[in-house]
Amino acid sequence: MSTLYAWLFDAYPSEAGMTTWWIDADGRAQALTDDLTPAFYVQGPHADLHALCLWLRARAPVPVSLQRTERTDLFLDRPIEVLAVGVPRPAAFQRLFRQTADAFPSLTYYDADIPLPQRYVLTRGIFPLAYCAVEHQDGRVIEIQPLDSPWEPEYRLPPLRVMALRLDGELRDPSRGHRGDLLIEVDGRQHAFPRRHGRQLVLGVRHLLEQHDPDLLVTAFGDSFLLPRLLEPSQHYGVPLPLNRDPHQAVAHKAAHSYFSYGRIVFRNEQHLLFGRWHIDRQNAFLADDYGLEGSLEIARLTGMPVQTVARVSTGTGISAMQVATAWRRGVLVPWQKRHPESLKTVGDLLVADKGGLVYTPIVGLHQHVAELDFSAMYPSIMVRFNLSPETVGRSCCEGTPIPEIGTPVCTHRQGLVPETLAPLLEKRFRYKALIRELSDDDPRKEVYRRRYSAHKWLLVTCFGYLGYKNARFGRIEAHEAVTAYGREVLLRAKELVEGRGFRVLHVYVDGLWIEKPGAHLRPDYDALLDEIRRATGLHIGLEGVYRWVAFLPSRVEPRISVANRYFGAFEDGSVKVRGIEARRHDTPRFIRETQLGMLDILAEGRDVAGFRRTVPDAIRYVRRRLQALRTGQVPLQDLVVTHRLARAPQEFVVRTAAARVAQQLSQAGVQLSPGESLRFVYVPGPEKARAWELVEDHPPYDAQAYTELLLRAVESLLLPVGVDRRMLDLWVLGNAGYWGPPGALPPPGADGHAPLLAAAARVSMLRPALRTILTPAPPPADATRPQRDAPWGRLQTPRLALPTPDEIRYAAREA
Amino acid sequence: MGRTLPSITQAFLAEQESLSRFRRALRREDQLALDDLLAAARHHLAAAAYASHLLPFETLLLAMLVEEHKHVLDLQRRLEALAADTRGEDPSGPS
Repeated sequence: MSTLYAWLFDAYPSEAGMTTWWIDADGRAQALTDDLTPAFYVQGPHADLHALCLWLRARAPVPVSLQRTERTDLFLDRPIEVLAVGVPRPAAFQRLFRQTADAFPSLTYYDADIPLPQRYVLTRGIFPLAYCAVEHQDGRVIEIQPLDSPWEPEYRLPPLRVMALRLDGELRDPSRGHRGDLLIEVDGRQHAFPRRHGRQLVLGVRHLLEQHDPDLLVTAFGDSFLLPRLLEPSQHYGVPLPLNRDPHQAVAHKAAHSYFSYGRIVFRNEQHLLFGRWHIDRQNAFLADDYGLEGSLEIARLTGMPVQTVARVSTGTGISAMQVATAWRRGVLVPWQKRHPESLKTVGDLLVADKGGLVYTPIVGLHQHVAELDFSAMYPSIMVRFNLSPETVGRSCCEGTPIPEIGTPVCTHRQGLVPETLAPLLEKRFRYKALIRELSDDDPRKEVYRRRYSAHKWLLVTCFGYLGYKNARFGRIEAHEAVTAYGREVLLRAKELVEGRGFRVLHVYVDGLWIEKPGAHLRPDYDALLDEIRRATGLHIGLEGVYRWVAFLPSRVEPRISVANRYFGAFEDGSVKVRGIEARRHDTPRFIRETQLGMLDILAEGRDVAGFRRTVPDAIRYVRRRLQALRTGQVPLQDLVVTHRLARAPQEFVVRTAAARVAQQLSQAGVQLSPGESLRFVYVPGPEKARAWELVEDHPPYDAQAYTELLLRAVESLLLPVGVDRRMLDLWVLGNAGYWGPPGALPPPGADGHAPLLAAAARVSMLRPALRTILTPAPPPADATRPQRDAPWGRLQTPRLALPTPDEIRYAAREA
Repeated sequence: MGRTLPSITQAFLAEQESLSRFRRALRREDQLALDDLLAAARHHLAAAAYASHLLPFETLLLAMLVEEHKHVLDLQRRLEALAADTRGEDPSGPS
């Protein structure tokens, strides 16, 4: 018997039990076999359970262990009697359960769909990438001692050998046309393989895999193209390709599918998963750009899900897995196909409860010295602070605390399952936040912490949605409603405190407030206020920053209405924040995005509203330079690629939009498109209008006019708050002229930008008093009998300097 | 997300829709004034949602009044400032 000190790298079911892979500090990988007897639980009438036992003994393809036991039901909050069905061969577990559930559909099943890798780490009390002392003998695990905790912010990871695979040339989806040579980068060297020679290609890749034995394959389009196109010739020529480290396993394949989520169609491409080695496809990773590999590893450690899965599923699955782990540790049954209908409510109750978060429409325009206050991780913090969980909301086990507005009590005598899951996660997140703030910018740990911190953010964002999702194992709509009710209460409380200290509220958006007060320009001006809100709400609120200026934009469709999440601003340190404008949209070409951000950087030099206005001429000069580059054909084509998410199948298009044309081109080129897939294309001149990016060969000219239009729209968004409309912008940018001076010179506030003469007059200061006199209403007449008459223009009163009327002359004469 | 009740925005759009024949028969200039009022109501949808009245239109009418009154107050303030200015007083003075 010997002891191995190593990190858990991979675990999956195999014929002999569970195969586990371990990597030690020198980077050596080793496989060990372990036992696992996964069990599912069945509840129902005694007679039915008895029949099930007989059926399992007689018909089960593998031997099973049957045991009558007691487990806790979360919603009943007491143990119930269940039948435990243990399957000593984990690889047969899923099939056996399916057969059982098909044969006895009326029974209630628990713990049936916890993935085996997660079950394994839970049973052993470890987690993926945990550093452990493993006692083993003859290739079998005897005992595992974890020397690591998932809640430790500072941890060591195994040294990983990485091999990167991609196709030569710009990043374009190879299944739609463009295909270069295969480039493999490993150990600091690059190897190129021409695609045509299938046999040599497979032999070359095999040689590299054997020579370097990488732990991780990072690919671009590996799931949908590279791996299948490597496996194909490998089979054809009979040359085995050791993509897996485990020679007994074949590469796992999952088919592509489209589904509907949050009002839009999402496309998930096919997947190729490895055994004893990881494959991560950067193009098929869900949101991974933000947190990278460090974030994915952090999620794997926290959730117990395998790294290859983490890199491909939405993080909602992650929070769900964490709740399952909490339930497992508590000995609580995990329902399979939960049946928990919404409880009966009156219309009045529903009216109060069925609402979302508090979203104001902001006060449109450009504001200066505005502070943004944000509740950090507001909904998860509310769940923890007020103990909101599916089994605590509306329980009558104790007196409880009533939910604001709704009044339903929440159990307080025991921590709920969801708060228990979230509390340590929030705690760890706060520790990372503090660490990030303490470390200097050149510290390499800072970026690692930042990525783990954003990984937490994605885990936490989804936990709220899962609370209300009826198909989620631990979801219940009443708990979801309780969270939004507390959210509204907390925000309104904060609003009252803010206004109590003399601030004006410009905007409220779900978990943030934008406030202003003359004289409050600096961070310390807000300390007392933040403390007060923290004390009153019990939640952590922070100052996101003080803006030099911030602009809330009106809706493009209805200019009289402002929209909640379309704004841009510059903080005190000169950094900018944008939401909802072109630079944030995924369909915007890079050239347009960079122009808008470049212009924002110039505007951000203005320290207040007046400063913003002064920088406009500089910004316009910059835009003119960019426009010139665009119109003289100097912009590289890849900076002009427009992305469009396909909302329907190509043949369903009715209007011939650019996207429809591109979808048609691709269909004609033999590419299968599914709803939810992204289209990438460039605008080209002539009747073709747009061409699929994957079908672009050499350097065709682009449609400068179409891109000029996109550019001007992006510029207009930024200048709208200072009253610049499209007409004035065209004059400045396309005509290089302006009514008020050089292009970019703004009219004084309140003057009509298109009426230069009147405003020129107003600029001459000597004319001001006369103008003012004319525009001022006459003082009330001394005598009420004095005749009134309509002013010749609009509702202005008689000018005081005008000659006396005949009536007045007569009146004066009579008085004399 | 599935919701059982229409959101306040949906309720508002339904009210707006039900006014379409009324709006159609108005003179052009009156139509524009009506649009202003509806935009004013829309500005306070968050508060109207929080109020959760069974008949949201009452709250929406009140929201229009709030915006109108703000307008009146603003005009009043500007009028007083202008009047003070012409009398040669400091406009930021006692008013």
